[in-house]
Amino acid sequence: MDEWKPNAPAKQFVPRKNRSWYLAWKYKLMNQRAVRRLCQMGAVLFLLVTVIVNIKLILDTRRAASEEEEESAQDYDEGVQHLETPRRPTSSRKVLDIEVYSSRAKVYVAVDGTTVLEDEAREQGRGIHIIVLNQATGHVMAKRVFDTYSPHEDEAMVLFLNMVARGRILIFSIKDEGSFHLKDSAKSLLKSLGSQVVSSLSWRDMWSFVGKKGGEVYGEKHSKSPALSTWGDPVLLKTEVQLTSVEDAECRWPDTELNRRRRRFCTKVEGYGSVCSCKDPTPIEFNPDPLKDNKVLNVPVAVIAGNRPNYLYRMLRSLLSAQGVNPQMITVFIDGYYEEPMDVVELFGLKGIQHTPISIKNARVSQHYKASLTATFNLHPDAKFAVVLEEDLDISIDFFSFLSQSIYLLEEDDSLYCISAWNDQGYEHTAEDPSLLYRVETMPGLGWVLSKSLYKDELEPKWPTPEKLWDWDMWMRMPEQRKGRECIIPDVSRSYHFGIVGLNMNGYFHEAYFKKHKFNTVPNVQLRNVESLKKDAYEIEIHRLLAEAAVLDHSKNPCEDSFLPDTEGKTYVMYIRMEQEADFTTWTQLAKCLHVWDLDVRGNHKGLWRLFRKKNHVLVVGVPASPYSSKKPSAVTPIYMEPPAKEEVAGQVAAAEQT
Amino acid sequence: MQRINKNVVLALLTLTSSVFLLFQLYYYKYYLSPKNGAVFSKVKGSQSGQDGIQWHVIKKFLGLVSSHNAPVYLIDPLVLGLIQKDYEQLSSSSDGMSPECKYFCAARDFTTFALLDKTWKHEVSLFRAAEKMGFQWLKIQNKDPRLEGMDDLSGIEIPLHYIFKLAAHAIHLVVFYERNGNYVWHGPLRLKQNIDRKFVPFRKLHFGRFAGAYNKPEVLQLSIDDLKVQIPKNLSQFLEEMSHSRFLECRYREARAFFQLYPDDASLDAVEFRKKAKALLHLAALTLNNLGVRFWLSSGTCLGWYRQCNIIPYSKDMDLGVFIQDYKSDIIPAFQKAGLPLKHKFGKVEDSLELSFQGEDDVKLDIFFFYEDDDHIWNGGTQAKSGKKFKYLFPKFTLCWTEFVELKVHVPCETLQYVEANYGKDWKVPVKVWDWKNSPSNVQYNGMWPVDEWDDVIQVY
Repeated sequence: MDEWKPNAPAKQFVPRKNRSWYLAWKYKLMNQRAVRRLCQMGAVLFLLVTVIVNIKLILDTRRAASEEEEESAQDYDEGVQHLETPRRPTSSRKVLDIEVYSSRAKVYVAVDGTTVLEDEAREQGRGIHIIVLNQATGHVMAKRVFDTYSPHEDEAMVLFLNMVARGRILIFSIKDEGSFHLKDSAKSLLKSLGSQVVSSLSWRDMWSFVGKKGGEVYGEKHSKSPALSTWGDPVLLKTEVQLTSVEDAECRWPDTELNRRRRRFCTKVEGYGSVCSCKDPTPIEFNPDPLKDNKVLNVPVAVIAGNRPNYLYRMLRSLLSAQGVNPQMITVFIDGYYEEPMDVVELFGLKGIQHTPISIKNARVSQHYKASLTATFNLHPDAKFAVVLEEDLDISIDFFSFLSQSIYLLEEDDSLYCISAWNDQGYEHTAEDPSLLYRVETMPGLGWVLSKSLYKDELEPKWPTPEKLWDWDMWMRMPEQRKGRECIIPDVSRSYHFGIVGLNMNGYFHEAYFKKHKFNTVPNVQLRNVESLKKDAYEIEIHRLLAEAAVLDHSKNPCEDSFLPDTEGKTYVMYIRMEQEADFTTWTQLAKCLHVWDLDVRGNHKGLWRLFRKKNHVLVVGVPASPYSSKKPSAVTPIYMEPPAKEEVAGQVAAAEQT
Repeated sequence: MQRINKNVVLALLTLTSSVFLLFQLYYYKYYLSPKNGAVFSKVKGSQSGQDGIQWHVIKKFLGLVSSHNAPVYLIDPLVLGLIQKDYEQLSSSSDGMSPECKYFCAARDFTTFALLDKTWKHEVSLFRAAEKMGFQWLKIQNKDPRLEGMDDLSGIEIPLHYIFKLAAHAIHLVVFYERNGNYVWHGPLRLKQNIDRKFVPFRKLHFGRFAGAYNKPEVLQLSIDDLKVQIPKNLSQFLEEMSHSRFLECRYREARAFFQLYPDDASLDAVEFRKKAKALLHLAALTLNNLGVRFWLSSGTCLGWYRQCNIIPYSKDMDLGVFIQDYKSDIIPAFQKAGLPLKHKFGKVEDSLELSFQGEDDVKLDIFFFYEDDDHIWNGGTQAKSGKKFKYLFPKFTLCWTEFVELKVHVPCETLQYVEANYGKDWKVPVKVWDWKNSPSNVQYNGMWPVDEWDDVIQVY
């Protein structure tokens, strides 16, 4: 029996084995006290952690549950309470050390040892340099130079200084010469800012000044020029500025999403006027009326920008105020890693993309255009078109309405390759009818629509490479690209070119060619007979016009106003000499005396120009090159105008830049 | 003595923690589980009614997004799977309120929704409102791939994923972007340094391990568990798409480096060839997609994508691969109908099939059919004049989506192995003279076609 009880001891064996295993373990560990202690400590620690984790878990779940309970009562209504953003009190008021240097060849400004302005380039940066600092942080908010040696720059300076908020720290320094065209109004403003010497500031004096707008003066230095031919000695002004608290430097706008954007902007940059006004800030959201049946609501808008943030600011304001604008479709492409344009873009809550500059001058612009267009179509894969704008344009209130009515032409008529908002010949005295459209052979740019197929299939693959220093728009106007196609333009432009600083732009040029351009301000203009802009219909339309047009008296001087009878709303035709397709001798002279665009030929359609004079529609036909020459009564001799002497022409051609 | 004391401490601690454990159990059983339904106990589901915590979270979330004009749609594979089973019933009884919470209360830790970027105005106030409702949220953003391919553009980062967490449930909102090639894309979910890795169990998310490409969604509204939600119109198709949606971005940075070494050919000829080749590829893709034939970029076209993100301007043809099991007899007529006549046909369906179509102006489209063996995949080649057969071996691969010349196409996911098999380790160096019989590093001589079969297996037009 004993042998047949293998199970009984086995049953007992289990605990025994356990115990013995435990004992063995214990003995073993006894021999290794350290190991045993460690294990014990580990166990204790582990248990403690478990306990803590448990408690935390319970607390967490309970809190979540109770929160949930509260929430269900409160539901989704938002904006009940304004969260007070806690502000750190700036206990330690800081002092800024400022150094300002003014001399003939160099200016510099250092704040706390950091150079924030240094200009010693030759033949550049003449005039009064101004730096605006934030009175709480000491950050540079604006840097400007006004060449007050030249006329009108002092007015711009006054404008700028008036826009700077009270309390900002202003730093002035003259390089080379800054007094020649500094008029009394500007001087008295500087005086009111606390300058003692500005009223006696004269030819080639050196001057540095630091003061708070509407407050104390921190320092001023001045050195007189001893003689007309020499400059005053360099002056170095060293001064200290007490920083104020952040609260004092900021406005108390209600805490909304928009105002948060505004605050971010206004603590960073200066010189944008009422947008940062504490009392009555100008809106940064416009909510213009939507358009009925807007065909361009989902057309992406690419804004091509450089480093002209004030322009961009003005441009975006007008763009966002245009009826039917869709801010979501706007992307601003900034050529270079400039901060301030990006700040402007963010102020308006738009998308901005920065582009590393490639190449130089015109090629840089051209590469920037290419990158911007490619990116636009990448970001909006179903877009068939893109609107291309530049940062120095005002946009008419009915810009999108104009495009919405005409964009279908681009789809239906393949003899078209753009719709532009700009009429090169549409000046105050030559444009009249906002509902009228033309077909022209020259692409005007300045606010235009490009189709994806044209860009992707034709332009993008052979876009001029960076080493070719070409203007993109000149290139686009070349016959290889244009392929005989035309653009639709309005009689009265839907954009206005206000930029006077730019790659191909200066004040004189702007005054002569852009200032008097007509710009539509009427909302919701119903375009007339858009269908007649299609290829064949347009020819019928032109023939109709020619048939009804009265022939002007070709014996009179076409430059004189009396060339036109004193009528209104009539159609006239005149014939000028144009030997072959590229003969624009007479047209150029005529354009010159009419004060329209004469730097190259714009706005023609098969040797025909259309414009208004004294509120009458005038057709100008080039004979015999134009196919419309056949309409010329045989008795009429086409007008021929002599080009001026050679040198003059050469000068003008050199100035002929694209816009 | 000391030892005993320690043991006492140990025992005490064990006791406390057991008490806590018991308490925990009790707590879950009596307090949380009736409320939270399936989160903690997987058996709940139908009995828990509409009190499930998921249901509440989803309800709140849907209220939140609809009040901020963000048209989200449901893409959660678990929920959609359940819906799919009862689809007909659900869509027919539009207001048939089921008494129980069947779909949204099913056990899971999160629910996935999608948002098409362009349909949303990026109202930032949504997130403040979410916080007020008690949601914790996390935004995962990254570079915009639509600008990645371009030199030197730096856009702002775009949001790729949002996670909203409330109590024990999380909503994963995947942002989809439209891209060139008529498809929508979502980004991979990659956590940056400063992101709380424990916010949700990221690994368990259904979307975000890889980037994904999908057809543009069509959605419809359904009332599910008393909640109005948008779901993909074609559920089975969507779920099917999801299973192989992995998307590979072109290697733009490497492509730029390549062009630094070997400047691109910007001549008019190259421009013209690329234009034609692109048009041909678009036509081929359209034709094959209409037939439902899966294909991928192969040989030189694949190399062009992988190495330079573009068509190699001196390649003379476009190469596509198709698995032989996807072969359809109407491929040839379909191409002919599309204006691409058959140029030659080598091999037969059982062996080494290869079709070649004549595109515009000498640009040729080659379709190679791939055969699967135990440990590799191969396609065949045939020399027309001699009847010699060749075999090109590739390691096994799966298919991924990518974007190439404004087209959503497949490429082998294991592209490097594929390209290396075909072009060797030196694939990075451009080779202009290429002999298809000798140059590839994976070519094998494969005997001769029997002469009596020549009429069938060697057809040249």
